[in-house]
Amino acid sequence: MEQVLKKKKHSRINKNHYGYIFTAPFIIGFLLFSLYPLVYTFYLSLTDMTLMSKSYKFIGLANFKKLFEDRFFIQSFLNTWKIWLINFIPQLGIAMLLAVWFTSTRLKIKFVGFWRTIYYLPNILMPATIAVLFFNLFSYYGPVNQIGVRIGLFKDAIDFFRSSTWTVGIVAFIQWWMWFGTTLIIIMAGMTSISPSFYESAMVDGANSWQMFTKITLPLLRPVLVYILVTSLVGGMQMFDIPYMLTDGRGSPNGSIMTMNILMYMKFSSNKGHIGAAASVGVMIFLVTCISALIIIKLLKEKESKREIKSINRGVKAYELHG
Amino acid sequence: MKKLISMLLVLLLTVSVFSGCGKTEEQANSNQTGEKVLKIWSFTDEIKTMAVAYRGKHPDVKIEYTMIPMTNGEYQTKLKSALQSGEAPDIIALEASFVREFIESDYLEDLSDLLPLAQELRTYQFTIDMATYDGQVKAYSYQATPGAMFYRRSLAKKYFGTDDPEKIQELVSDMKKFEEAAKIVKEKSKGNTYMVASVGDFTNLFFANREKPWVVDGKLYIDPKVDELFEIAKSFRQNGYEAQANQWQEGWFAGMNDSLVDAKGNPKQVFSYFLPTWGLPYVLMPNSSPKEVKVEGSDKTKKVGKDTSGDWACIRGPMPYQWGGTWIAVVKGTKNLELAKDFVKFATLDEENLKNWALGVYTNEYLKKIDPNIGDKLSQGPGDFVSSQKVVEEIVDKFDDASTSKFLAGQNSYRSFAEAAPYISLKLLQGTDDAIQRALNDPLNNYVSGKATKEQAIKQFKEAVKNTLPDLIVE
Repeated sequence: MEQVLKKKKHSRINKNHYGYIFTAPFIIGFLLFSLYPLVYTFYLSLTDMTLMSKSYKFIGLANFKKLFEDRFFIQSFLNTWKIWLINFIPQLGIAMLLAVWFTSTRLKIKFVGFWRTIYYLPNILMPATIAVLFFNLFSYYGPVNQIGVRIGLFKDAIDFFRSSTWTVGIVAFIQWWMWFGTTLIIIMAGMTSISPSFYESAMVDGANSWQMFTKITLPLLRPVLVYILVTSLVGGMQMFDIPYMLTDGRGSPNGSIMTMNILMYMKFSSNKGHIGAAASVGVMIFLVTCISALIIIKLLKEKESKREIKSINRGVKAYELHG
Repeated sequence: MKKLISMLLVLLLTVSVFSGCGKTEEQANSNQTGEKVLKIWSFTDEIKTMAVAYRGKHPDVKIEYTMIPMTNGEYQTKLKSALQSGEAPDIIALEASFVREFIESDYLEDLSDLLPLAQELRTYQFTIDMATYDGQVKAYSYQATPGAMFYRRSLAKKYFGTDDPEKIQELVSDMKKFEEAAKIVKEKSKGNTYMVASVGDFTNLFFANREKPWVVDGKLYIDPKVDELFEIAKSFRQNGYEAQANQWQEGWFAGMNDSLVDAKGNPKQVFSYFLPTWGLPYVLMPNSSPKEVKVEGSDKTKKVGKDTSGDWACIRGPMPYQWGGTWIAVVKGTKNLELAKDFVKFATLDEENLKNWALGVYTNEYLKKIDPNIGDKLSQGPGDFVSSQKVVEEIVDKFDDASTSKFLAGQNSYRSFAEAAPYISLKLLQGTDDAIQRALNDPLNNYVSGKATKEQAIKQFKEAVKNTLPDLIVE
């Protein structure tokens, strides 16, 4: 009897042990490739390390002091927010509208899966391809000018990539075009997880579509919206590939599409490769992203109920399945 | 049994995490197994041609060639981080715009012992000056790249009544005259022919003729030539003497085969291009023939543009300049020092190789015989201007009826370059030039298009320089 008990105890301990082993790959990967670089970046931001010399020294907060005196940092900060907001607001609006239409039991739109795939497709394309495509479309002798002038849309050819407004607009458009499909899928996942019985009883009570949307859909969708907002913010603050490849890689014209990440890369790839200065930009991006994400979560999470937590989980799962 | 399976799974997962690290170890091992491996990084396929030719002489050497484009500085950045982490190749190619950064660093091997060979070949001094720092020569070049101005003969006849290179040279012998000629071209063509494709075409000329370098005693120095550039560029933009077709973009190439069409559908022509030695065989000649374009909605193709070969001429232009050039250097600490040095010697200081290079011996068939796996594109056409004055003098006559000369209606461009090359000086060149000149792009454009006054543009320029070069004093 005693022996049997011992054996049972032994095997239970062993099974607990497996848990650690199975999570080990992720933990090791996280420590090695996520946490260590993060801590190391903080350390680097306090040094004057460059790529071209082997020695470096600790210089305290001098990098940050320089950064805040630099007009370009402030500009890149504002640029990043501007481009993100210009693309995010219509992105959310249009994705929401389409999601309502697609899930609506009254409209009964056909081939929902097909449309959803079509809208998602731009996201599969390489950013490099998209940047080159749009660069050629909007170049001075490109098709947009050729067609636009001939059908009388504008009087003379526009030099799109020498105009700050146009270039910002094009970048925001590309970002919107690439990402509204993803947002649409997550919102739809959130909407289909809302029980139809709510809508049925609302209809019995004589509610119209708008009332159902504001009183049922939106409140129950809040956790999903928090998720979209935060992930999009994190992605938006790190915007790099499209603005980098669209023009000269320095945010031309006039630094109008120079995002914080581009500034960081510029410092890193400058003639001496100022790693320290680049790391200080990286630290600022990290802080900005963290603080704004925390604020968003705090603002939107307060009224959350248990059921909503469930549906956010479902939303996340659906996103993982699709993405 | 279950235990065993789960243990295996765990092992597999852990192994897969580290699989990324394993690869380099394997490669390192193969280095030691007899066959010598030479790792080369470059930003074009030119050195690859050289490498294949080198293999023809040394079949026991295996070459690992990596090409990384340098359009937005990707190559330089990748190279710097590789050098920093000690995973650099044995041999690296360096382009004129950033060669000084690397020469002034301590990452390159001293190659001064090859200097007697260079003297024997009478290698153009500026190519050696460019690669010398602290008395050490750290790289050699196989080319010299004096610049020239290429213009369309038929258009010259139409607007100036002659296509004779000497007379046209007379008409554009300085920047003021060049501007006047641009005015004539515009007026006589009713605005349908532009003097140049873009303002960017002639910025190089102004940079090459500065009196002082960009950085003097650690401070940014703005030469009076920059001021001149601002004025001329503004005049070209405001008066419509340039097509606003930026270098390396579609419109720029379209001008070469007369397929440039403005937004209203009017055909436009470009009178001249500023290109150096390599610009003729690599840029102008390949783009001067009609291009096949797919007709929308069917499988048929149509030809766009026309064949402009034979309609070009080459002159010195308003100011002497040089553009580009590739240097080859050996990375310090390489395990294959002797082999790497031998490759540099072969590529840049070998009479036979330089002759083969310039005369177009390295055709695709020739290279395929050495290595059948190189594909159908790799080859080196005739006409590249090499760095050895001795070789140049020996082969210059052979270009009298080469394809380049036919392209220029019988004019031997090689001879004109041979005359210009000894006078090139690169003493002004510094490691920071590329960054500073890139920083000038936007401010210059703002001034030229009237969006900023000159004071504002200079201020923007200074701020941009301060941003890219934090160590520099900008007043």
